[in-house]
Formats: sequence, structure tokens, C-alpha cells
Amino acid sequence: MRLSHTRWLASLFGFPFAFALAACAGSERAADAGDTGGTLIVTVPAEPSTLFPPLLSDTQGAAIVGVIFDRLAEIGDGLETYGDRGFQPRLATSWTWANDSLSIAFVLDALSRWHDGRPVTAEDVRFTFRVYTSDSLVVDNKSLLGNIDSVSVRDPRTAVFWFKRRMPRQFYDATYHMYVLPSHLLDTISMAKLENAPFGRNPVGTGRFRFARWEPGQRIEILADTANSRGRALLDRVIWSIAPDFGSSTVKLFAGEADFLEQLRPENLAQVARTPSLRLIDNRTLSYGFLGFNFRDRSNQARPNTLFSDARVRRALHMAVDRERLVRNVFDSLGMVALAPAPRALIPDTSAFTQLPYDVATAKALLDSAGWRDSDRDGVRDRDGVPLAFDILIPSSSSSRQRYAVLLQEQYRAIGVKATPKALEYNAWSDAVDRHDFDAYLGGWQPSPGLVGLMQTWASSGSSNAGRYASPVFDALLDSALTTLDPTTSRRYWARAFQQIDDDVPAVWLYEQRSPVAISRRFITAPLRADGWYVGLADWRVDPAQRIDRDRIGLGTPP
Amino acid sequence: MLLRVAQGVAIVFAAATLAFVLLQLAPGDPATALGEGVSPELRATIRAQYGLDDSLATQYGRWLWSLLHGDLGWSRDQHRPVVAVLADALPRSLLLMGCALGVSLVGGMLIGAWQGARAGSRSDRTTSTALLILYSLPEFWLALVLLVVFAHQLHWLPATGITGEMYDYMSAGQQLVDRLRHLVLPLASLSLVGVSVFARYQRNAMQESMAQAFVRTARAKGLTESAVRRQAWRSALLPVITVTGLLLPALITGAVFVERVFSWPGMGYAMIRAIEARDYPVVSAGVIVGSAVTAFGAALADIARDIADPRLRSL
Amino acid sequence: MSRRLSPALVLIALLVSVVVAGPLLSPYAPNAQLDIIALRSQAPSLAHPFGTDAVSRDVFSRVLDGGRISLALALLSVSLSLVVATLYGAISTLVGGVVDTTMRRLLDVALSIPRLLVLLAVGALWGALSFPALVLLIGLTGWFDTARIVTDELHALSTRDFTVAARAMGVRGPRLLWHHLMPHLLPTLVTTASFGVAGTIALEAGLSYLGLGIQAPQASWGTILRDGAGVVQSEWWLSLFPGLATVFAVLACNALGDALRERFAPNHVPSLAPRVAASPAPSSSRTVRP
Repeated sequence: MRLSHTRWLASLFGFPFAFALAACAGSERAADAGDTGGTLIVTVPAEPSTLFPPLLSDTQGAAIVGVIFDRLAEIGDGLETYGDRGFQPRLATSWTWANDSLSIAFVLDALSRWHDGRPVTAEDVRFTFRVYTSDSLVVDNKSLLGNIDSVSVRDPRTAVFWFKRRMPRQFYDATYHMYVLPSHLLDTISMAKLENAPFGRNPVGTGRFRFARWEPGQRIEILADTANSRGRALLDRVIWSIAPDFGSSTVKLFAGEADFLEQLRPENLAQVARTPSLRLIDNRTLSYGFLGFNFRDRSNQARPNTLFSDARVRRALHMAVDRERLVRNVFDSLGMVALAPAPRALIPDTSAFTQLPYDVATAKALLDSAGWRDSDRDGVRDRDGVPLAFDILIPSSSSSRQRYAVLLQEQYRAIGVKATPKALEYNAWSDAVDRHDFDAYLGGWQPSPGLVGLMQTWASSGSSNAGRYASPVFDALLDSALTTLDPTTSRRYWARAFQQIDDDVPAVWLYEQRSPVAISRRFITAPLRADGWYVGLADWRVDPAQRIDRDRIGLGTPP
Repeated sequence: MLLRVAQGVAIVFAAATLAFVLLQLAPGDPATALGEGVSPELRATIRAQYGLDDSLATQYGRWLWSLLHGDLGWSRDQHRPVVAVLADALPRSLLLMGCALGVSLVGGMLIGAWQGARAGSRSDRTTSTALLILYSLPEFWLALVLLVVFAHQLHWLPATGITGEMYDYMSAGQQLVDRLRHLVLPLASLSLVGVSVFARYQRNAMQESMAQAFVRTARAKGLTESAVRRQAWRSALLPVITVTGLLLPALITGAVFVERVFSWPGMGYAMIRAIEARDYPVVSAGVIVGSAVTAFGAALADIARDIADPRLRSL
Repeated sequence: MSRRLSPALVLIALLVSVVVAGPLLSPYAPNAQLDIIALRSQAPSLAHPFGTDAVSRDVFSRVLDGGRISLALALLSVSLSLVVATLYGAISTLVGGVVDTTMRRLLDVALSIPRLLVLLAVGALWGALSFPALVLLIGLTGWFDTARIVTDELHALSTRDFTVAARAMGVRGPRLLWHHLMPHLLPTLVTTASFGVAGTIALEAGLSYLGLGIQAPQASWGTILRDGAGVVQSEWWLSLFPGLATVFAVLACNALGDALRERFAPNHVPSLAPRVAASPAPSSSRTVRP
């Protein structure tokens, strides 16, 4: 698992269950010609690198894949991950648990067809699991499938998942992380070659939209799949129009060239409000950002870090940061101070644990007591001739984190700490963080529902625990919270786990974001799910009274 | 001519070598770039697949050999061959640069010749100052200004791309108009600067040519002033055409920035995207192709010079 | 001549004095965050003539401070280029023969590889470069055109009477270069440097705009432009003022270059530096391309 915001996103996007019902209603409505049709143009600030689901690494690709492909079952609106609670049928119409709960048999929808007309079979499901867990491919979600032992084919319409342990999230593991792939198109290609197979730029799925074309550097177009067993998508087509950066995307939006923009920035809110043809839809995201400290010496992992192994220093560095003002500067009304290594939406009870206050005087006193004093009067505290100075590693691709780094530098200067932002190109940054080669870094995670990812990011054995935070107490509490089958007991463990990690300050939790989308008023949408705005896209439609030229083209292929 | 070809080959060879060196110096390799969750077996497979365990000389030889066969490797970022990336991007860049070069040449020569014929006059000095200011504008900043004024504020022209979103659903006539509308701003950004470059050069060449003996002869022969100017202009053409080949690297520089600002999905755009994604094969291919285009352009300029050489023509 | 030179000198004097006096003129420290909530992204006003940026730094102070970095980078890297180019040209000319021919051909090849693409590639490999590294990188990729001009000029000078006379008296090598050729080469060098500085200022702005040049939070004209890149419309002052400063500086240096050239070589067709990687020989009476 790489420390990357976007890669994580890929692991969580899917279809909404709320729209499973709407989908049925939609297919009935589809008969009424007045309600179908229309063109949605989504402007995106970057081009996806592939549409091969296992290799998704960006949010743009995740959205397109999320509407072309299907999961076996779809998580509920509340993102509930215990058992199969809230899950809705998708490619599987039903499922049965074995008596020992160590296997689940999924019965596939007999009417489901690939976009090339072939039926969906249990062999497709087995093949999908093989691809996602292949050693020849770098699949981010592979580590999340560790509890699945194998997938077998009971009959052409029944696939059985076999698990290693009974866990609260078995069902979620089996359904959420994989989009079912067409084995008849892919099984002739060796696993190592799948990465570069043409399929990634010309995908065939089962979703209510089908892939139409990809003009490199310009746009990707999908069309309603009129033969879909769950009813055609109500819109005729969705076009992802590729802009090179966020600024260009907003121009397209305000000029009416595009209808939809995800992740609006605070500075554009006012302009959306002023534009009569646009409206805002509030959208939570699941990401949080933090300033992470390295507990180990960056050049010698065996030695503790001279600054950050001292809890007093970490607490001081936490208390010196006015997180509220920082959030207001960077995200305005679209951000909130993060409470823990999880967004509020995924924390069972946010009031069950407390936060360190913003208190500059105490921060200074803590540093004094730890022996860090400005003995040479140069404005920077020192101890035994070593100044209290460190670099903050930031990816140059993230403007909000760059802004945070500059703001933090100033806040730390006020308590006699010299923090120097150091921007690295994204992959170099990611490499450095993976290698633990940093003092402090600005990171961001997007945990998937259920928070299993905390095992990777903050448990002492975690593969992505970049700062080497190691607390046996936290590890134990986290494990209990994740494996306890009783929800009430589990909640209590969560509260204690979060309190423990907040008191240990392995990082300063800086922000979580709300990310409203702007959309043309022509469109009638459903509520957006926090792990992906596009989950209900097939049921979006255009108000017949507000149609414009591009909504009237119909489904025909271009001239 | 043979010398030209040899030089062209040498340039591409040098660029390829440079690209190889840069790739070698790149931190990490395709195997380490895969990140942490990669099994040692997969790492070994990939290293073997890319031949990373061979000696540098072997790798270099293979690199040149595959280049010779038009194989530039795989784009890790785009999951397709680099050649496919180039096939999409290069024609778009050539279109933009070709148009910009044409406009700059014609515009620059007309303005420069007009100035050169009345060198030292007030209108000449005013024009020179204006050209100097244009000449001093960084292309990307000029592009930003044009973008904000004509696309963001006035909404006269589209801001980005080479075609509109609904291009595929337009009639042929609409498609042409759509393409032209998208071309205007990037072309203007490149050409305004380009015109100033050529005009400055043409003005002085013209001024010098007007002072030369053959012009006096022509005047003495009783030719009209406009005919004299035409002769002088033809003579001044030579150095201007020659310099065209030398201008190509500057044009490429400008195009990279302009493509970035207007998201014109050509070579420059592909390069910048590849840089952000650390997609080294595309970056090195960009260096090689840029050099090849320069070498080819310089050769064309030489041919054009031979055609325009007044010693081979009238007078 | 002086008529052309004086406006250019006025521009340069203005530029230099503003940049040198920057710390006295700037109302705030360039990196001071004045009030990250109340004073962020303020449009130009009396208190902040160039507005403030997203973390409430005074853009006027930053443009002044950034000018020092941008100009320092340009001056240092162009100086480096000049030294390398002069040495290269001198070796080529003084050794002569096959070495000279080879070195000239190598220059032709180097000039045909677009410099920006190489800079982008290096930027991609090393990411954020420190100031000295940038000086080295820009200096060491920018000397080819100067070397060509120097070589041409030295060739011309070596046939002149005073050189022939010096050679006859046994003056050779570095001594010949330093005492006899350099004084005559100097005008060409100064002129080239002037255009070189202009080009490098623009180049730095471009590279930093792409995130490959000077690194934030250090202000330079390019980094301020980058700060404004996503908000060209709503926070136009972040793009307008550093952009104007860049244009002004480039214009001043180009004007100086034009004026110098006219003074030293009034009848020459202009070299096209900095826009052109390879400038033709200073006089059209010589062949432009071998």
C-alpha cells in the first residue's frame, strides 16, 4: 500500500445501494422516453492513466470504472461494513453464508450481460479474484483481500468465497474491493501483460453505462447501455472532459462548456453562487490530512529520533498549532479540524475522546521542560548545541498541503522551532515517506469504510506506518475494535483507541474536507455517497424543460 | 546535403545518448517505482524483463537498437507504448508550431521589410519599441493574459483543448470552426512573440540590404522605389530563412509553455504530464523527438535558403 | 547611439535600484503572514499595493524580494555561461585545426537539442533543486550559443593585424587570449550577456511556474506566478504584478543589449539571443551556417 491519497480513493469507490431501488424505478421510467436522454459533461483536472479496475490509481479513473463495472454487492448508504448489513444486490442477486461463516456463496443474476453480450459467469468472479491477488501485478487492494483464501465455482452461476478467519468484515472484503472482470476477454493474456493490455483503454464491463471512446488528452465518453438488465442509464452519455489543471476546469464549468465539477475549492464557492445555471451539492469526503512525525532517526532506523521520540516535544508541536485558523485559511468553510486518524463520518462516536487544546504557553513550557531553550538567542531553541529544527516533506502536487506547510512554518517560528517546508515531486515524496527518510511530513489518507486501513497506517506492524509510531496499547485496542463482533463493545474500543493515539501524538491531525460539487441546474440528481459521487450516476436525469442542444442528440453514434 | 543528413543523424544520436544517460541517472528503476507491496519475485521478473541486470554497455546498445526500430518503450503512466503517446501528441504540436511559424514568418517579414525600408524614421522607431516589448514577453505569461481576457472574461474563445466536448457530434463545417476557435489563442500567444523575433531580424537585414551596392545599381537603372524594395527584400530573405532553422528550439520552448497554459494536448503537454508522473520513457522520448524536429527543421530551412538564394535567381 | 543607449540605461538603473533597495522599500518581510484569516487573498489596496496572497503575505514585498533571487540567478548563471563559453571558444580557436572543426560541430549538435526539454527532463529526475544547483544547471546548459558567437568572433579577431603582430612577437596561448583578444571580445561578451540575462529571467519564471525552478516558500517572480496559477482570474494580482516585473526586467536587459550592439557594431544584423539558441555570426558578411 502506497501512501497516496489517490490510490486509496481507488480502493473505495463503488455503487450506491440507495440507488438499487431507484434503479428499478429508473428502469420502469426508462420506458417513458421523455425522461431519458441528455449529456453530462464532467470536467476533470487530470487524465486517468488506465480504466483497468485493479490498477486504478486516480479519482478520475475510479469514477469512470465505477459506472462501467459492477461489484457483486454494493455497500449501503451508511457505509456499514459489519456483516452484510445494508448491502444491496448488484451482480449477485442473493448470497448464502455457510453455517461456520467461513464461506459465502454468491448467486449471480442470470440476466447480467457483459457489454459485448456474453453472460456473466461464476468463472468471471473466480478470475477477478485471481487478477486482484496476482503476484505479477501491483494491485493496491491486494493487501485488503488477505482474509480471502480462495474463490471457487460451484456452478456457472454460483461463486463461493472461502475465508481464513471469521471477521466482522468478511462480506465487505469480498465485495467492496473488486469490480468483476470479463474472463472471456482477459484470461488469454498473461497476468504480467494485463497491465499494458489494450483492455485498460477500451474496457468492457457490466454497468448501466458502457465505454464509448477515449480521445487521449481530450475526453472520455461513456454511453447508456440500453441492453442492461437493471435498466438503461437515464442519461444518454457522460463525457469526461480533460483539463490540465483545476483552474482550466473551473473555466470550463463557468463558461457552460461543462456541467459538473468535483472537489470545488473554497475560492470558487462565491462564483458558483453567482452563476444562475449552477448549483452546489454538499459532499463529504473520507480523507484526512496530518503532520506526521518520524519516531526513528531518518538515517538510522535503529536509533530513536532526537526530536520526536520525546512525547513532550510532539505534544508541544501539537499545542502550538492553531488548527482551527489553519483550516479556515486553507479550506474556509469546506474543512474541519480532524479529530483522529479517521474522518468524522467513519468514527463511531466523536464525543467519546478528547483533544489536546491549542495552547502556545503550555507548548513553550513543554519545550523548556524537555531542555529545548534558545541559549544562543538566535530565535531557534536548541539543546546541547543542536537546534530544534526539522524539514516538513510535502508533495509538490498538493496545493493545500503546500499552503499548510507554509502556515505551519510560521506557527512554529513563534515558539522558537525552525520548520522548513521541503517540496518534493509526488513520487519522490512518496518514495521518501515509504523509506522513512524524513523528519516530518504532511500526509493524507483516505480510509475505506470500516477503518481496517488503520492497521496498515498506524499500527506498529503496519506496512504504511511511515513514522514508525509503535504503541502496544493502541495496537491492542485497534485489534479489539476491528475484530469484536458486538458493535457496542466495538465502539468502546474505538473510543479508547482514538484517545490513546491522540494522547501519543504520532501526528497532528490537521483537517478533513468537505468537498461540494458544482453541477448544472438542468440535472436532477440523487444524494452523493461519501466514497464516490458517481455511484448513482445511472439514475441522474435532465429536467425535460431545461434541455439544451447537447441533451437532444440521442444515443446515435457520432456522424 | 549529405553533410546535412549526417549532422541530423548526429543530433538525434546525441539526443538519444543524452536521454539514455538521463534515464540511467533517474532515481529508482521500473521495479522500485512499483512501490513497496511488490514481491521480490515480481521485482526480479521486472528487472529481467527490462534487462536491468545487464551491463550498461549492453543496455545502451539495446536502447539504440530499439530506437532504430521505432521502439521507445512503455509509458508507465498511460499504460501504452510511448510511440502511441507520440502518435497522438506530435501531430498536434506540429500543427500548432507549423501555424505559428507560418504566421510569424509572414507577419515578421512584412513588418520588418516595411520598417527596414524606412529605417531610422519615427514610425520605424515606434514600431521597434513595440516589437522589443513583444519580444520581451515570456510566452507563458502572454498566454495567461490572453486566456484571462479572451476566454475567462469575455468568453469569446474556448479556454482549453483542441476541440470542444461535443466535437464528435458536429457537422464537418462546425468541426472546422470549432478547431479554428480552439487554435486562435495558442496560436496568437506563439505568433505575437514570433512575429517580433522575425521582424527584428528582417528589419536589420533589410536595412543592410538597402545599403548594398546592387540596390544603388537598381536605383541607377531607374527602377521604381517599390521595385527596388522588392529586390532588396529578396536579398534580405536569405539570412532570415537561414535563421528559421535556428529558431526552432525557441519555438519548441514557447510551444511547451503555451500547450501547458491552453492544455493543448501535444508534445509539451505530454512532457509536463510525464514529468509530474515521473514517466521517464516519455520524457526522454520528448527530448529525442524535440531534437529530431529541430534537426529536420534546420535541414528544411537550408533547402529553402537554396531555393531563395538570389544568386540562383534574378539579378 | 547614445540616444539609443540612454533609455536602456535608465531602465536598467531603475531595475537595479529597485531590486537593490528592495529591503528598504518593502513594507513587510517577504514571508511574513500578516493575518491568515483577515488578510488573505486581498485585492490591491493602499496598504497592499499588489494585494496579498493566500497566506496573507504582502505581494509587493514578495515581488521586491523575488526580484533579487530572479536577477541573482540570471546574473550568476549567465556569468557561468560566459566563462565556459569563452574558454571553449578560446581553446577551439587557439588550438585550431581538427580540434576546432570538431568542437564547432559539437556545438552545432548541442544547439539542436532544445534546451528547455533537457531542463524539464533534469527537473523531472531531481525534482526540487537548490539555488546553487539551479545556477549550475541553467549556466551549464546555456553556454552553447555564446560559445558559438565567441568562436566566430575570435576567428575574426585572429586574422586581424594586432593579433598577427602579437603572434609574430611570440605571444601565444592564454597570454594572447587575455591581453590581446579579450579587450576586443569584451563588447561582444557584454552584449551577449545582456541578452542572456533577459532570456534567463524569463526562463526562471517559466521553470518556477512549472514548479521546477526556485522552490516555495522562497519568493521569486516565477514562484509568485505559480502561487497564482490556479486562480488567474479571481486573484489576478498574483499573476499580473510578478509578470509585469518579469517583462520589465527582460525588456530592460533586451533594450540594453540592443543599445550595446548598436554602439559596438552599428552595421551588424542582430543576433537573436536570447530567443534563439544559436545566433548567426555578428555580421551577415560571414556565412551563417557552416
